[in-house]
Amino acid sequence: MEQLAYDIAAWPVSTAINESSWIFAVVQAFHLVALAFLAGSVLMVDLRLLGKGFSSQPTATVARDARPWLIGSIIAMALTGIPQFISLAPKEVESPYFRWKMMLLLTVLIFTFTIKRYVAYAPEGRVGGGISKIVALVSIGLWTSIAINGRLIGFFGV
Amino acid sequence: MIDIALGDYFAPLRSLFETVAEFESSIALRESQYVMPWVFVFHVVSMCMFAGTILMMDLRLLGIGHMQTPFSQVQRRLFPWQMVAMLFSSATGLALVWGNPMNYVTNIIFWVKMLAMGIAGINALAFHFITEYTLIDWDAGRTPPTGAKLAGALSIVLWANVVMAGRLMPYALTWFRE
Repeated sequence: MEQLAYDIAAWPVSTAINESSWIFAVVQAFHLVALAFLAGSVLMVDLRLLGKGFSSQPTATVARDARPWLIGSIIAMALTGIPQFISLAPKEVESPYFRWKMMLLLTVLIFTFTIKRYVAYAPEGRVGGGISKIVALVSIGLWTSIAINGRLIGFFGV
Repeated sequence: MIDIALGDYFAPLRSLFETVAEFESSIALRESQYVMPWVFVFHVVSMCMFAGTILMMDLRLLGIGHMQTPFSQVQRRLFPWQMVAMLFSSATGLALVWGNPMNYVTNIIFWVKMLAMGIAGINALAFHFITEYTLIDWDAGRTPPTGAKLAGALSIVLWANVVMAGRLMPYALTWFRE
């Protein structure tokens, strides 16, 4: 694992990112813009599930509308996250915050595309309000922890 | 490195920021090892909630997102969250500047961020007082009028600028000579 991280950091593209005075910074900036779009797309559905908005629309309608923006921002997050990882791979893999972030990310992706997807697209009334609220709170909680760990990598990790 | 003597432009504000820097509360914030990182964390989290809910409303204004919900509903439902998030972002943002005022007073990227926020505010008010009067004609429609699309597009560009400037601020010192 450690050796792999060093190999990745030695790739020409990784060293190019490290040697540039602006690539890393600009990639980070776009990562945050993508994060805002991601947070928005997630909240549209979660607020609906919480019963805090769009109650005159079926949840499935809100979720279907949010879906392209959710998928698009997840792709944008990956495209801007990977360059940051490869340029700092050896430090990232040792950071507890990075490890937490990746584990939580895997969890939230599985959760979103299985349980949350089922609950959001279920016919109205099939899933109880209490369950919907729990699903929304789990989603918000997981995504928030990922953002927090992401921010902490920069302070205490790398 | 770009050679601009930015410090000169902000000379009148420098004394104000210097005064803040000498407050006990400012010194305490600056010297606290763990408070500032967490203020940054909460600033980012509240930013997600604020920018996220603003951007989703903008996509609806542009006619490219959440089209199955009338605009008025998207706006009414997101508004309280936008306000709560704005309160948190402002409070944490103020604390960040309060704790390290001299880091910001001559930071050109900080002022770009403040300017973009100001223009975004004017854009939102202009939309509210001008374009929104015609809302009844296009609320549930597939194609919002040009004025609405313009407000949405401007808002996305300006808030993206604010978010990016926030992230790029620490680099100002290496990119621009003060």
